[in-house]
Amino acid sequence: MGVMRLGYVHVRVTDLEASRFHYGETLGMKVVHETPNQIYYKGWDEFDHHSVVLEEGGVGLVKLGYKVEKSTDLDAIENRAQNFGCITERMSTGSNVAVGDGVRIVLPSEHVVELYHEIDYVGTEVGLLNPDPFPRHLVGVGVPRIDHALITCEDPAAQERFFSEVLGFRPVERVVTELDDGDLIGSWMSCTNTPHDIAFIKGENGKLHHFAYNLTDWTAIKHAGGIFAMDDVSVDVGPTQHGITRGETIYFFDPSGNRNEVFSGGYQTFADSPPITWTADQLAKGIFYIGRELNERFTSIVT
Amino acid sequence: MPSVTIQPDGIRTDTREGETVLQALSRSGYGFRVGCRRGGCGICKADLLDGEVDYPVAVSDTTLTDGERATGACLPCRAVPRGDITIQLRDDKLRCCSTLLASIYGADSTKGSC
Repeated sequence: MGVMRLGYVHVRVTDLEASRFHYGETLGMKVVHETPNQIYYKGWDEFDHHSVVLEEGGVGLVKLGYKVEKSTDLDAIENRAQNFGCITERMSTGSNVAVGDGVRIVLPSEHVVELYHEIDYVGTEVGLLNPDPFPRHLVGVGVPRIDHALITCEDPAAQERFFSEVLGFRPVERVVTELDDGDLIGSWMSCTNTPHDIAFIKGENGKLHHFAYNLTDWTAIKHAGGIFAMDDVSVDVGPTQHGITRGETIYFFDPSGNRNEVFSGGYQTFADSPPITWTADQLAKGIFYIGRELNERFTSIVT
Repeated sequence: MPSVTIQPDGIRTDTREGETVLQALSRSGYGFRVGCRRGGCGICKADLLDGEVDYPVAVSDTTLTDGERATGACLPCRAVPRGDITIQLRDDKLRCCSTLLASIYGADSTKGSC
C-alpha cells in the first residue's frame, strides 16, 4: 500500500480575487502558479509544487490529490479500484499543472480522487541545510501545510471499505449508531501516523465539509483566531478541542463559503493501533469536546 | 438610509452604506438562522417581498440560481439593499440577540418580540 499523504485540495470559489486575499494574506499561502481562472498555492513547509488549487466558478470540491510512494503503486491502486467497482481513468503528465502521470478515481461517494507519484519539487521556505524553524516573513496565519479533508457520503461503510481495501488507509476513529451491529455514520482514517488524513461523515454524496491546515499548537490556533478577527473571516466554531482526534481547532469559511479548519495537536497512531469507537449519542462531545454541543451550521453546511 | 423590514414579525431597522441585510440586523441586535455568511451554503435564503438588492460580492449561481433571483429569492448575508426592502424569512423568525444593541440602534420592534 503506497499512499503517503494528502497532496492537494482543489476547490471552486465564486470570486478568485476575493479568495486571493483569504488564502494569500489571511492564511499566508504563497502563490506558485496562476491561470486566468485558477490560483495554485503552497504552504511554507511543503516541499511539492502546490497543495491548494482555487478554480473560479461556484463552490465546493473539485478533487483531492494523494501522493503515492512509488510509481508502481499507481498500477496496483488502479487495479484494486476497478475490482472495487469504481470508474477510473489514467491522467497523464500535464493534465494537472506540475503533476505527473496518475490515476483518477470516482469514489463510491462520487468524489474525485487523484493518485500520483511525481509532482514538481519546490522545497520549503527554510530549506534543507541548517534550516531555521520558520521563515521570518510569514504573512497572516502563515499556515505551514495542509493536513486533511472531511467529506460527506451517503454510505460511510462503503467509503471506509474503499479507503481501506483500495488505498490502504486504516480507520483510527469511528462513529456508530450503537455498539454491536450499529451503522457506521463517520470514520476518521489515516495513511500516515496522524489521526486522520481523510474523514467522512454520513451526508450528501460529492460534498466537502472542510479541508484543514496543520498548525504547531494551541497558541498558534489562538493566533489564527486573532488574524481571522482582524480580517473579518466568518468563523463557524472555535477555538475549541475535538474529542475525536483530540485536536485543537477553529472552523471558518472562505469568502465563497467553503469551510476551512486550522488544526493542531492530536496524537500519533500506528499501523497496529486499534480503532477508537464513539457512539452517536456522544457525537457532540466527540466533535466539540469542551462545549459538547453541535451547532446547526456544522452538520448542515457542505459545499 | 434604506430600511429593512423582516417578516413575519415586521421588525424594521436601517442599513448603513454598503451594509448587507445580515450585517444591519446583527448590528441592530437581531439574528436568525444563517450558515457560512458568505453566500456559499444558502442556509439564510429568504424571499424579497418588496424592493431590490445588489450583490457587490459574487455568490455562487448554484446557491442562488437565476431562476430563484427572478422569483424573488435572496441571500441576506450578501444582499445589499438598493432602497427600502421587505424580506420574508423561510421557516424562521427573527430573534433579538441583544436588547442593548436593539435599543441603541432603534430597531422597530413594536411588532415583534425583543
